[in-house]
Amino acid sequence: MTMVPQSGSSVSRGGGGTGGSSLYDVLELILDRGLVIDIFIRISVVGIELIKIDARIVVASVDTYLRFAEACNRLDLEAGRKAPAQLPEVVGTMMEGGAKGKAKGALSGAVDTVTESLSGKSAKQEEPEEEEPEAEPEEEAAPRKRRPARRPARRERE
Amino acid sequence: MALYVYAITGEDHPHRLDGLTGVGSHPSPVRTVAAGPLCAVVSEISEEIRPKRRDLQVHQEVLESLMADAVVLPLQFGYFASDDQTVQQALEENADSYIATLARLDGCAEYHVRATQADEDELLRQILQDSPEARDLNDQIRAGAQDPQLPLTLGELVAREVQERQDSLAAELVQALVPYGREHVTHPPSSPDFLNLSLLVPHDRTEDFLAAEAGLAQQIESGVDFRLTGPLPPYSFVQ
Repeated sequence: MTMVPQSGSSVSRGGGGTGGSSLYDVLELILDRGLVIDIFIRISVVGIELIKIDARIVVASVDTYLRFAEACNRLDLEAGRKAPAQLPEVVGTMMEGGAKGKAKGALSGAVDTVTESLSGKSAKQEEPEEEEPEAEPEEEAAPRKRRPARRPARRERE
Repeated sequence: MALYVYAITGEDHPHRLDGLTGVGSHPSPVRTVAAGPLCAVVSEISEEIRPKRRDLQVHQEVLESLMADAVVLPLQFGYFASDDQTVQQALEENADSYIATLARLDGCAEYHVRATQADEDELLRQILQDSPEARDLNDQIRAGAQDPQLPLTLGELVAREVQERQDSLAAELVQALVPYGREHVTHPPSSPDFLNLSLLVPHDRTEDFLAAEAGLAQQIESGVDFRLTGPLPPYSFVQ
């Protein structure tokens, strides 16, 4: 229904509850970015903001330290022997590929991957149904965790 | 009747709005309000609107439909004006700036990239492998050492390593993808993400960008999840 230049709609309404699961990732953009016009009025989005998740927790806390220590203690050190990709290598390969122009196979693979990611599949993205913005009264009344102050966005133009 | 406002476009945008309905529990048709060289895309709402998730989706769908035809300035979700005159006034007051932004964004779409540490174990293994100090502390604890300071010291060390590694991976991912965009912007990521990047990608670079992104996603394996959304209206590039 919605026509977009490539790769299909990034957010699809779909028939039921699963449609728009990738709305989860776009939520921050729709709610916090976009053009703001001063002389317009904003409807209350209090309920909707409940969907947002806390900003990345700074890892400097005793709880975090203990959690990491425990995770290390119970780690099976022999299990994961496959060496993870080294990023410098990854970037190098990628740049090289980009410079030489894309190989056919790589490109169609790319489209597959992207389509997959657009259709949304992480379990975390499935849950917003109960977080429907018209929150229950008690949900709205519940003390919300304060989000840590945001660092300002960094913007650069090429 | 109040007007919910979705976007600002140039007057030459085709505005194929047939069949599109707007936000609210009794959705009205989407229409335009013109003022000189600019148009606003709006729909009527009752002022008591309580936004729901489907309204976010409608907002997004109207914008996606518009952006398929020509450049748009997407409004942030949730803004309405009391009437047509207020909308026209807004368009007139900032006409020059809106026209300039439309020109700047013409021929581009936003792509949003996030990276998450989906599996921590592999990262922790790497850290223990690379840091003799962490390994030694871990061995002591596993051997039954009772000093309560040991786990704290180990945890602090590991936490620092995790943060550093994620930050440097994020920086390198940004560096790898930025050449494909005309502009880019990074925001503080939400936990458990450690990268939140938006790129303004010209249409003629989209294929290269997608191929590059997919290549990165495939090659970075150590428990990192890479998520791409787009093409999107250029939310991150209109202010």
